[in-house]
Amino acid sequence: MRLGISYRMHFRYSEPVTECQNEVRVRPRDDDHQRVLSYRLTSQPQLQVFSVHDYWGTVVEQLGIRTPHTELELLAEATVETAARPEPAEAPAVSALDDAGFRLEHFEFLEPSQHVDWRPGDAVEQRAAATVAIAASVPEMVSAVVADVRGALSYEQGATDIGVSLAKLLEGGAGVCQDFAHLALGMLRSAGVPARYVSGYLFAADETSANSETADIVTVQTHAWIEVALPGWGWWALDPTNGGPVGERHVVIGCGRDYGDVPPVRGAFMGSGTAEVDAEVLIGRQSEDLPPEAPAPRRARSDVRTPAAPSWSQQSQQQQQ
Amino acid sequence: MLSEPRDGLLDRYQPGGAFDEAFDADGSVRDTYSRIVERFRELDVDEIRRLEKLVADEFRRQGITFTVYSEEEGTERIWPMDLFPRLIAAAEWDELARGLSQRVAALNCFLADLYNGGAAAVADGVVPRWLVMSSQCFERNAMGIAVPHSAHCNVAGIDVVRDTDGRYRVLEDNLRSPSGISYVIENRAAMAKACSWLFYDHAVQPTEQYGQMLRSTLQSMAPGGEHDPRIVVLTPGIFNAAYFEHAFLARSMGVELVEGRDLVVDDHKVYTRTIEGLVKVDVIYRRIDDDFLDPVAFRPNSTLGVPGLLSALRAGTVTVCNALGNGVVDDKGVYPYVPEMIRYYLGAEPIIDNVTTYMMWDPDQRREALARLDELVAKPVGESGGYGVLIGPHATEQQLDEARARIEAEPRSWIVQELVQLSTLPSVAEDRLEPRHLDLRPFVLTGERTQVFPGGLTRVAMRRGSLIVNSSQGGGSKDTWVLAPETP
Repeated sequence: MRLGISYRMHFRYSEPVTECQNEVRVRPRDDDHQRVLSYRLTSQPQLQVFSVHDYWGTVVEQLGIRTPHTELELLAEATVETAARPEPAEAPAVSALDDAGFRLEHFEFLEPSQHVDWRPGDAVEQRAAATVAIAASVPEMVSAVVADVRGALSYEQGATDIGVSLAKLLEGGAGVCQDFAHLALGMLRSAGVPARYVSGYLFAADETSANSETADIVTVQTHAWIEVALPGWGWWALDPTNGGPVGERHVVIGCGRDYGDVPPVRGAFMGSGTAEVDAEVLIGRQSEDLPPEAPAPRRARSDVRTPAAPSWSQQSQQQQQ
Repeated sequence: MLSEPRDGLLDRYQPGGAFDEAFDADGSVRDTYSRIVERFRELDVDEIRRLEKLVADEFRRQGITFTVYSEEEGTERIWPMDLFPRLIAAAEWDELARGLSQRVAALNCFLADLYNGGAAAVADGVVPRWLVMSSQCFERNAMGIAVPHSAHCNVAGIDVVRDTDGRYRVLEDNLRSPSGISYVIENRAAMAKACSWLFYDHAVQPTEQYGQMLRSTLQSMAPGGEHDPRIVVLTPGIFNAAYFEHAFLARSMGVELVEGRDLVVDDHKVYTRTIEGLVKVDVIYRRIDDDFLDPVAFRPNSTLGVPGLLSALRAGTVTVCNALGNGVVDDKGVYPYVPEMIRYYLGAEPIIDNVTTYMMWDPDQRREALARLDELVAKPVGESGGYGVLIGPHATEQQLDEARARIEAEPRSWIVQELVQLSTLPSVAEDRLEPRHLDLRPFVLTGERTQVFPGGLTRVAMRRGSLIVNSSQGGGSKDTWVLAPETP
């Protein structure tokens, strides 16, 4: 499927900002199942961009600005060709998870991390243990966990913040896609299944229902899902927010232990005022006969605020929904 | 017992079970110390008190203090220096310096390999991958940042001790921001002023060249081989315990001392604000922890650092010394593998051994060590400066049990070591000299080449029998003399 993606972030400050520095992770990656046909990042006012691959292989674009401004607009435009991601062809036995070499290879995706903060013996681990108890294979374990997460959480925007702990999340019982992903990761890791966080875009009008037929263009936020390592097979991608497979409509930016390794935007600005950010992702299906081009971006809506800031302040982070 | 009025300061000196560096087991003076011991035999208590006051006044005048954090707020104390110096003979020092160079070379190889070389040592099983990945100080943001000469650690402070046989052993590696060098130089200055006559009999290697050594090391770290690079010292500010040292180092190198707010990143280059406007900075000798360097990439609410600094590092326009991510080898969990690193990278046997260490994540070693914890020392892997250390023989049953439970719960967070009876030297006690335990922190500088600064900071426990030498916990210091080779 050929998809045109346009991710616009609009920062508006109540007082002029004299300086700001940002790290942006929004460029879709190239891998066996998706190819980036075109990509560009532009800004208003114009920024100095320096781009590198980080530890996790994700492209980081570093942007700095040193002229006073009250508005900053970032626009990332990409055209991506996607293919379906394979479903596991085999069902490795649960005992295969105990292989020492396999565990060592995936060490970073078996341990707790900043946002996947389960601890031995806690409610997350207990819930996971009960959920996978009767699973006969690793894929069954994974499916059981994803189904359980969908039972534990209802999809609700504004119910959580980025820093929410898994314990609080379970208590609240509601969240957005990154919360679904974090909870699934915590349960899977505590049950011994290596699992990682994926940041990306989903071409669907409703993130909670992957199969919904959509219009030609949808307006969404960035999306998050997970991948689990199946012994002897490889990484299997699943979308806990909607319970469905990860297919042609999913576009990967990058992966890491959790949101903290692949945040779309992270930054700091110098100013005395408050900041407001509008962000939206437009995704449209494109004809494969046409030359690649991104859809025309439209006006955005406002949904995040940061408190008053006398000096350097943290740029608002975008929750993945 | 009758008091004898002419009882000399050293007349009843009795080394304990440890290796005494001045006296052998029979009580005879070792050659290196023969002249200094003779000098001290000529002194009486009143003279010692007079000299101690001279030294303390000198430190007070110069503002040489240190901060103790144990109370609610930090307390400033006058830097404590014991009058009886530590002497290291030329040949002994040469051997020690070779061992230190070797160790730092291997550690630099490991850091270069880990962050810029594909981690061959990890792939080859020299250091377990999971151990590196689980280190709190493994800095994923350091990956791929170019480091001139692969010198990740430009200033290393390697803490060494001498065991009961007098053999040097490495107790811990400090490759982030080791402090103490300013006290080494101030100790010498105070000693030379108060006790200049002590130096007459000895050819002592000087210490005042440190600023020049550090400056040339940092100069060689400029990106692109810039010949006359702009160097700055980056401090967290006056509230930091080592601020005095930061200011001292900037002054002795003749470079600017800056805080994060004095620096600015523009177009992925770092500039310092001066009255002539912005001036590009090439080398930052930073005394700020990794986590605080750049609020964009690290702790978002830190105000100590420079927003965008990481982008300048990634762009290769500036060098930060020491490099990002060195803390992974300060992790005491990685320490047991340093001898293997020396064999792997240098193809040589370690010149200085580690202290025998048990890894708590190994079930067999853990069982064995916990069973005799009352004879051993338990250390948290992420601390330094003696914090959190449990010394088995000095601990109560309850403390031992608590430590065992903590270790069982989090084995990756602990190592357990054989107790080293640190060597002793005569030190000023009430009215005479008594043996006190000590260690040594030599400094190794690496840029284009490696240099070992002669001597280092000798820290000494002030209380009889105590093995705690950290100044934050009541330790003192000694002027450390590396003797020049005897000329025939």
